[in-house]
Amino acid sequence: MKSQFKHVKVKAITTVVPEKEINIYDEAEYYGNSVKKIDRMRKMVGFWKRRVVDDTTTAADLAIDAAEKLFENTGLDRSTIDALIFVVQQPDVMEPSTAYFIHDKLGLAQECIATDINQGCVGWVYGLYMASNLIECGIHKRILLLNGDTPSVGIDIADRNSAPIFGDAGTATLLEYSENEIKSYYCIETKSSGFEAIVSPFTGQRARFSLACNLHKDENWELLSKIRKEKITMPTGNDVLLTAGYLDGLAVFDFTVKFVPENIKKLLAYTDIKKENINAVCLHQANKQIVQAVASAAGFDTTDEKKVPYSAFENYGNNTMCSIPTTLALLDKDIKKDNILCCAFGNGLVSVSSLLNLEDTKIFDLQIFKKGSYIKTNEEYINYWRSKIKGETNG
Amino acid sequence: MDKAVFLVELEDILQREEPCAENDNLEDYEEWDSLSKMAIMAYYDKNFGVKLSLNDLKNVSTVSDLIKLAGNGVQ
Repeated sequence: MKSQFKHVKVKAITTVVPEKEINIYDEAEYYGNSVKKIDRMRKMVGFWKRRVVDDTTTAADLAIDAAEKLFENTGLDRSTIDALIFVVQQPDVMEPSTAYFIHDKLGLAQECIATDINQGCVGWVYGLYMASNLIECGIHKRILLLNGDTPSVGIDIADRNSAPIFGDAGTATLLEYSENEIKSYYCIETKSSGFEAIVSPFTGQRARFSLACNLHKDENWELLSKIRKEKITMPTGNDVLLTAGYLDGLAVFDFTVKFVPENIKKLLAYTDIKKENINAVCLHQANKQIVQAVASAAGFDTTDEKKVPYSAFENYGNNTMCSIPTTLALLDKDIKKDNILCCAFGNGLVSVSSLLNLEDTKIFDLQIFKKGSYIKTNEEYINYWRSKIKGETNG
Repeated sequence: MDKAVFLVELEDILQREEPCAENDNLEDYEEWDSLSKMAIMAYYDKNFGVKLSLNDLKNVSTVSDLIKLAGNGVQ
């Protein structure tokens, strides 16, 4: 799908990252205590640092804090927001939309619509696209797009294909209707045959013995407890949990270096904007190797790290749908922002390229996530629901 | 690209500290892992305009096989 919008202005972007940082050099035990091996990966793929949440923080919590900080940064009156879109793939609950929880926590207006969209690494650009449609139709004037993801939660730390790559983050983006023409372009392409290349196979109803099925049958509980600790040896020699998230790195790389550059080329052809007029190529920070391979195959010079940046990956990991906002926050201040190419790709599989005018967008520096006092420990959460079911809790 | 030049490049692509030779078996290289395969795919695309697939690399056993995949890129 190719599309262009003429009245959508991205007003402000705020991204938060958790305080806890993991440095790959502190994980030498997984690499036979070989610093040489880690150096090699640092050079080839850009593995270095990443941020991860604690035991109780969810994607929604990151997004809520990002939104609060955006309100604080911009002085926006939150009652004027007329749509909340929360892009998430690890929602607080399977039903209803976690967006309703966020709507309540942020104290948004009764007239403001709220819904989740389930997308992974493409979530920020995909969310912009969906929000832009709502604005361009003329009905919605001000949209709060929230993104949150905590990939560290679902990944086994021993899984060296995935664990050192991913970081957690939350982003709040404010979009508004603009009377003056301001153009943005999108090209979205779906390759759903790659559905299993990045997937969490045991988190939903397809596994009839998962908690997503509100288990009643003993046999399903038994099945769940039987496989709960089952480990499988990967081709890399690492033992990982069967029920953890699955990532086929080579297959994803194959898709990325072939499909994604073509997607970028189609967008550029559609916009009629010449490559040399692109200020910066902000690619989803899958890893350094992938960023450079994609940019190069799409015809961009990757030697200029300011124009084709990957420092977000090195410093914050691949924080999935927040990686482009993270990149934008780290972008060199001298770079013009009227023609920013943003391209994200990931689970689906899907590639989304967009050309954005962010010249008047307030892109705030990254901020450290502040944990909300409402967040419960596991024990508190269980007890809360015990009381609630007994009828002891109001609200 | 001259074969000798490629062998030196290969050392860098794989981030290997030992020299590479045509008859070497890639499976004997500790560095012949998924990172290296990805690096090879990106390098071939950029330098030789050859888009390799995963299967292409699965069927490769020696450095010489790898050179053949470059077509006329490596002489």
